[in-house]
Amino acid sequence: MKKTILLLLLVPLLFASDIKTEQKIYGLIIHTLLPQKTEIKVWSDSKSLQNVFRLIKGVKCVENPENADFLLLSKKKNIKTKGIKFATNIKLLEAEKESIIGGFFWQKGRPNILFLRKNLKKHNITLPESMQEYIEDEL
Amino acid sequence: MKSLKQLYSFIFFSIVLAITYLFFSTAKIQQTLNENVENIFIKEAKSFAENINNNMKTTIKEDPYKELKEHPALQKKMENALSIIINDTFKYIFVLYRDSNGNYRYLLDGSKEDKARFNQRLSVDKKLWSSVYDTKVPLIINQKELDNLWITYLKPVVLNDKTVAIIAIDFSTQLPQSISNAIKPLNKIFIYIFIAIGLLIVILIYQSIRSVKIKKESITDPLTQAYNRNYLRDLLNNINITKYQIMMLDIDHFKQVNDNYGHKAGDSILAGTAKIIQNEIRDDDILIRFGGEEFLIFIKKSPIVSNLAYTIGQRIRKKIETSLFHYEDKELQITVSIGISCQPEHFKSVSLAIKYADEMLYRAKREGRNQVISNKVDDTTEFGKGELKSINDVKSALEDNRIICFFQAIYNIKSSTIIKYEALVRMREKDGSITPPIKFLESIMYTNIYNDLTKCVLESVFLQIKEKKIQISTNLNFSDILDNKIFNLIITELDAHKELSSWLIIELLEYELIEEITIIQSRLLQIKEYGVKIAIDDFGSGYSNYSIFKLLPIDILKIDGSLIKDIDTSKTSYKITQSITLLAKELGITTVAEFVHSKEVLETVKALHIDEAQGFYLAKPSADIL
Repeated sequence: MKKTILLLLLVPLLFASDIKTEQKIYGLIIHTLLPQKTEIKVWSDSKSLQNVFRLIKGVKCVENPENADFLLLSKKKNIKTKGIKFATNIKLLEAEKESIIGGFFWQKGRPNILFLRKNLKKHNITLPESMQEYIEDEL
Repeated sequence: MKSLKQLYSFIFFSIVLAITYLFFSTAKIQQTLNENVENIFIKEAKSFAENINNNMKTTIKEDPYKELKEHPALQKKMENALSIIINDTFKYIFVLYRDSNGNYRYLLDGSKEDKARFNQRLSVDKKLWSSVYDTKVPLIINQKELDNLWITYLKPVVLNDKTVAIIAIDFSTQLPQSISNAIKPLNKIFIYIFIAIGLLIVILIYQSIRSVKIKKESITDPLTQAYNRNYLRDLLNNINITKYQIMMLDIDHFKQVNDNYGHKAGDSILAGTAKIIQNEIRDDDILIRFGGEEFLIFIKKSPIVSNLAYTIGQRIRKKIETSLFHYEDKELQITVSIGISCQPEHFKSVSLAIKYADEMLYRAKREGRNQVISNKVDDTTEFGKGELKSINDVKSALEDNRIICFFQAIYNIKSSTIIKYEALVRMREKDGSITPPIKFLESIMYTNIYNDLTKCVLESVFLQIKEKKIQISTNLNFSDILDNKIFNLIITELDAHKELSSWLIIELLEYELIEEITIIQSRLLQIKEYGVKIAIDDFGSGYSNYSIFKLLPIDILKIDGSLIKDIDTSKTSYKITQSITLLAKELGITTVAEFVHSKEVLETVKALHIDEAQGFYLAKPSADIL
């Protein structure tokens, strides 16, 4: 019992740094993509990511993906939405490159961010200068 | 004791220091081990990178991006070659090129899992990678910000003096973690040792506090909160008595308080008295409950006030006299008597100085209580009863040879001739007047000055014996015979005047019970071996005890003057003297009558067949022997 409690206490601490990094990056991405919104409704098919979003300022997690302004996807899903889709892995991004605006994923132990130019255009999004380097014309 | 504590502290800190050193040494070992392992694997990675580089150089002619894009089979073959190198340590091996936008993209990826496609972009530290690209110099990057990577080795692929790609080998963190894990138990041991030492220190501190508390309790009187005799015992061994004066205080008629009001009232008085004393003395002074209602106080000397103890003693006495002690609904008043030994450093031991203060206290009691009596410090002090000479007076007189002997003739009653003299010590004042011993002996009793005076008297007596060839008696106390220093002094003087020793008579004052009788016995026998005769002085008064004849080798018995002086008028004195004389005769002991002050007294002692007589009627003491 004691070991379980200790494990429960330690696990969040061990992953604290990764979660914090992801929070920062997602916070930056969401607010860059939707700068005009004071409250951004977010939906994700990953429960663990929902927990990440809960701690980002100005972000509200919603149950229904259709009501979301920003959708973070880890798997291919047929969702009718006007919201911005974002992938958590390169495979999904490649598979859904027509509709997904970009992705944030880890590769070779390094964090990677990608935005697809044509999909940014579709959503009339202009990224600030600091994020221009992450824009890819095509995959 | 102090040095033992220092030794313990030294050992303790040495152990802590050694363990701390070992602890940090382990960290250093871990670091060195890491570095060495790192070097081995970097060397290996360099070798792999060099092989990949050579392979690429032989396969690629000019532009790796173009050539690999056009030949997927070649790309696959080369990636297979890379994947062979991948193991637990070399986690990722890949080759990137820099595109026109300065982004880095895959040419080859040896990974089986998480494999990137050709030309896929990878976010890297552009600054570091570009430095390799531009300088064509390999680089080792310590990945501190990436959780799963330890080291990245970058090697530029240079074709035609132009960097066309970078070979990257990522080291897994598994290896340093393994080293760290291997060394962890050792670190744990040191942590446990530290914890154990920490606990030990806590226990030691706790025990020390406890020990101090117990020690304090063991040396404190619970009723008065003054120190007790346990403390005094330690103090006597450590105190520098030259810095203190000794005060002995006793509550007057304390027994009556206990008898009239009960012991609780007595306890209340004791506690109250101690509180008053404590308030009147300074922090440097030491208050000890000596026993019962007696307090012993060590007063720290002052360079300004010669007898500070007297001043403080008077202050305490007045304060107690004017204080009301409350017990239940009663108000009690008490007084105290105080005796002071103001120059305890002159005594042979602190115990004797305390004894002297006690004597002063009993004098204060005898002379009416509620007063402070001190011996004199010097000639200028105004206090002290009976105009006793101070220790310094006697010391000064000894130095100036003003300690002299008067001699009083002792007559054989039958023949009416002088047969011997009694040497009587006197102090000649600077103005020529003579001071009797009663005024200076008490001051120097138990002090080293007393030893000097005894030596002076013995030398003076032997000088007279040598000159006049007549028996001379000199007075000593039983305590002198018991005192090692004085006894040795007597033996030394007897050794120095062996041929004159048989003329010497030692008169012992029998004024108190003899506790160490066997020592006295053997010492007197040792003295008698020189031919010295032993006389008992003032027999018939005070603590006179017939058992003395059985115990000691007595030659002469001097019957106390208090019996002789009225022997012609008091039937009791007569009978007692007669009885003593008869006993002495039976035992073969010579009898001497003291205080023969009239013809009638002389006739009476003659009638009693007393052998010898001494007194003002016969001869007064004089400086010279006729």
